[in-house]
Amino acid sequence: MTTDAFIPTVSAADRAKLEHSEALVASAVSHGWFPPRHTVEITGMRELDTNVMCMTIRDPYIAQHGRPAQFVDFFTHDPMRLMPRPFGIGEINGDEVSFIFAVVGEGTRQFAAMRAGDVIDVLGPLGRPFRTKEDANYVLVAGGLGVPPVIAAAQHIAGLEGSRSTAVFGYRKNHFADDIVARYADTVHSIDESEGNVITVLDRIEDELKASDLPPVILSCGPMPMMKAIATWAAKRDIPCQFSLEQRMGCGYGTCVLCTTDTVDGRLKVCADGPVFTREQLGWE
Amino acid sequence: MSDTTPIDLYEPYEWKHPTVVAGVPWKNPVGTASGTFQFAAVRWFYDVSQLGAVCTKGVSPVPWEGNPGVRTAEGPASNVNAVGLQNPGVDHYLVDDLPKLKKIGANVISNVAGRCDDDYAEVVAKLADSPADMLEINVSCPNVSHGGMSVGTDPVALSKLITRLRKLTDKPMIVKLTPNVTDITVPARAAVEAGADALSLINTIVGMRINTRTGKPIIDHVTGGVSGPAVLPIGLARVWQVRTALPDIPIIGLGGIDSGEKALEYLYAGANAVEVGAAALFDPIAPLRVARELDALLDERPELAAKLAAGKTWR
Repeated sequence: MTTDAFIPTVSAADRAKLEHSEALVASAVSHGWFPPRHTVEITGMRELDTNVMCMTIRDPYIAQHGRPAQFVDFFTHDPMRLMPRPFGIGEINGDEVSFIFAVVGEGTRQFAAMRAGDVIDVLGPLGRPFRTKEDANYVLVAGGLGVPPVIAAAQHIAGLEGSRSTAVFGYRKNHFADDIVARYADTVHSIDESEGNVITVLDRIEDELKASDLPPVILSCGPMPMMKAIATWAAKRDIPCQFSLEQRMGCGYGTCVLCTTDTVDGRLKVCADGPVFTREQLGWE
Repeated sequence: MSDTTPIDLYEPYEWKHPTVVAGVPWKNPVGTASGTFQFAAVRWFYDVSQLGAVCTKGVSPVPWEGNPGVRTAEGPASNVNAVGLQNPGVDHYLVDDLPKLKKIGANVISNVAGRCDDDYAEVVAKLADSPADMLEINVSCPNVSHGGMSVGTDPVALSKLITRLRKLTDKPMIVKLTPNVTDITVPARAAVEAGADALSLINTIVGMRINTRTGKPIIDHVTGGVSGPAVLPIGLARVWQVRTALPDIPIIGLGGIDSGEKALEYLYAGANAVEVGAAALFDPIAPLRVARELDALLDERPELAAKLAAGKTWR
């Protein structure tokens, strides 16, 4: 007796929701509006590390328009938990977009329990992306769950003629995203707490960065202390930095003014004015 | 939610059931709720001039930075927020949001915030000659240390403030009330006797969440304002009570509306119109969707629709 490979199937009710959403998004876009919240199919859900999940959805609009450091609001099916959970866009393959998230509470636990073939509501892509117009050696520095935006950046930069990328990933223990970023980055360095942190790596590769014919530009996402340490390291060497910040958000699209950060230009919205801010904007030295 | 949104939402639409609030015609009975509306953010999602009214976020005499740190926490079927009325100030509003909204033909309610009576007076005086259609006086924000709710819970202070503002403008003036009082009909009556043309209720309810890992409040301001579907029964009861006490004052009902059906409950409770607030935080086009759903529900209720169109209410 043979067993067929598991093929995810979408229920008839969910299929109707997907068709309705597809028509709704098409209608919005054809009238010149941004797609509203809509339902999409989950095409993959796998555990990368303990309580770290990689979810893939099928969404042609987000796949086509999503840029590195932009994010997508995800909604639970739970009427008690209405507020969106914003996740940074990771890899994009065809119509499919991947996201990496940690299970930190009941909302993300519900997401992690979903499977390929289930449906989920999304809104996006939201926020302003990393700027990668200049030809540069983009140094992608991420810590822990900060990896998705820089994975997206590595993928984007791989398609640019005049730029290259160097990934510098710091982990607590398991190097769960090295193989993903290695598909796109020209060089991958990673480290975990047994050996040091991302600054240890940056010190090690400093001469290599200086020797490169392309000027280094740091794109970073991760815990606040890590990003501040990178800012200090980069300021001393006069290396430009862009940081993708995280903050407790409300709507994700700029209407509620709940997710602000202090900048030299005043208190700005992380979701709509960011999430990407330069070192100079943040006043980090 | 997204599966109930009509696909023809973006097509031109002829509204069938208008309302009137303090003499101002609304093409339908649904507006946005002040704290949740930023034109710069919403304008990508739908044509806001389709709404009965657009109530903009509170403006103060000078720019306010709002509260630092974490401003939000989720509650059961709700959101707790403590923005602290961050806004770019009335002068910016007069050259930016307001003319942009009037240019697209929106019916605009300008929400006025202040830390003291002089603040409110300065903003109202500046808006008196503006193209704003209505003014809404925010005496109910729970997240600022002065002004806001401290005025709205004290009928004597409220009466003094509204009496002063009444002399500064002929524009229809709405007073937005807080539910954080024992008897909401007391400030309601004080506002109306001092010259308010209409009342809007409810603003948010004081609440908080605690992080059980640290034992500390999630929001840096400790408490915030609760909004979302969880507050629907509270808002309805307040509207019912005020309508019973004040049979003639126009009322805009809000609190927990995320569907046409829930908007209809407010109209049966005695409101002339409604506003959609927190629902826009989890569905950007919620106000327009609610307006369309309500328009269909009013088709089946000609008696209620006729009353609203004539500036009257169900009860």
